[in-house]
Amino acid sequence: MELLERYLQAVGEHLPASSRQDTIAELRANLLAQIEGREEELGRPLTEDEAAKILEAHGMPILVAARYRPQHSLISPAMFPVYWYTLKKSFPLVLLAYAAVVGAQIVLQHEPLSEIPGAVGHFWTVAIIYWAVVTLGFAVFEYLQQTQGTKFALPHWSVRNLPKLERTQKAPSLGHDIADVIVSIGGVLWLLAVPNHPYLILGPGAKFTHQMPFSLAPEWHVLYWQIMALFVAMTALKGLMLSPGLRPHRDWLQLCVQALGIGIPVIALQMKPFFVPTANSTETVQSLVAINTGIALGLKIAVAIALAKLVWDLWQLVRSRAGKQPGFAAMW
Amino acid sequence: MSPTAQTQLFDSLRLELRRGCLVVAVLAQLRQEHYGYTLRKSLVEAGLEIEESTLYPLLRRLETQGLLTSQWREEDKRNKRFYRLSPVGEVVLGQLLDEWRGINRAVERILGAETSHERTTDGEES
Repeated sequence: MELLERYLQAVGEHLPASSRQDTIAELRANLLAQIEGREEELGRPLTEDEAAKILEAHGMPILVAARYRPQHSLISPAMFPVYWYTLKKSFPLVLLAYAAVVGAQIVLQHEPLSEIPGAVGHFWTVAIIYWAVVTLGFAVFEYLQQTQGTKFALPHWSVRNLPKLERTQKAPSLGHDIADVIVSIGGVLWLLAVPNHPYLILGPGAKFTHQMPFSLAPEWHVLYWQIMALFVAMTALKGLMLSPGLRPHRDWLQLCVQALGIGIPVIALQMKPFFVPTANSTETVQSLVAINTGIALGLKIAVAIALAKLVWDLWQLVRSRAGKQPGFAAMW
Repeated sequence: MSPTAQTQLFDSLRLELRRGCLVVAVLAQLRQEHYGYTLRKSLVEAGLEIEESTLYPLLRRLETQGLLTSQWREEDKRNKRFYRLSPVGEVVLGQLLDEWRGINRAVERILGAETSHERTTDGEES
């Protein structure tokens, strides 16, 4: 019965050496008995095809052998909730730390803002490394539990120590949103009027602007309209929030407004310098260099903070939409 | 739910339901000595289908857990490994059977209550 021996040899390849001989001997006896039982039923020896069918029905060698081995898992079902909780709770911290590092690089090393998309793209590598490290840590702990007999015990907890009931956050009222739209329209009109009526921004000081040794850079005239377009788009989105059909999606629209808002300092940063001298004085030029650098630094910091806030708000929104899962917060 | 998903769900639940029952049946059947092939045959004759590739490793596991004892012996000019319920296995089998009967009675009561409720409702409607 060469087929049987070949089958047993294939099963044996996947069995631990310590129990291989014994398991194979038992399997041989059982399969031979099965083949003989079938031969008795038919009243004749089995053909090779019929014997092959019996062996194939018994299962693929690697799977048959796997059933003789103790069940292994990287992270056991008992440990999995703790593993998942750790991943979920620490992920925002990883995200925040990464945003802080990228923000610091942009600000301190004067990296251009065009590096941001690359940094966002690179985050997936960081996320995968973080996931691999946490998983490996838990797998090692699991292995030690199984081999060294280290027992994992859940921390003591009491129902009295559970967090207080969370108050559901009240959604902003329709009146609040209407007022927001009115203020935004007022803001747009005010900004439209500022170029022709500088006193709206500078007050009585507007009379003296022509005597100053510096003025706004010429690029302002182009970028001003880009910024205005962003303001108009933000106001339009706020207007959409009032629509009863879009009211359930208010939070997402609010995030869009927030994202557009980040565009304003980003556009402003395209301008270098912000102010140019009108008089050829070395002192004025030096002062303007310091002022322009200071403004650029301030805007970069604002963009970094606003981006981090946007990512955090997005994360919170996705979490709240997904529904809160009961966690281990009360135990730790 | 699509028919395929429903079938998969049923298969998974059926597997879960059968897993514990198979252990009870195997332990009960091994109150008499058997080797793998004859044990499977006797289970099938009693109406309990079980694959060889499931049964043979299960016997090994139950032996490792101390519920069975085994012995290599020659029968019909061939060496075979015979299994039998161990003293610990007998105690555990008794406990498992008590548990199983308790669950069975409870499920029967629940089903009986449902049937009588349906009858009452049907009677009121007609």
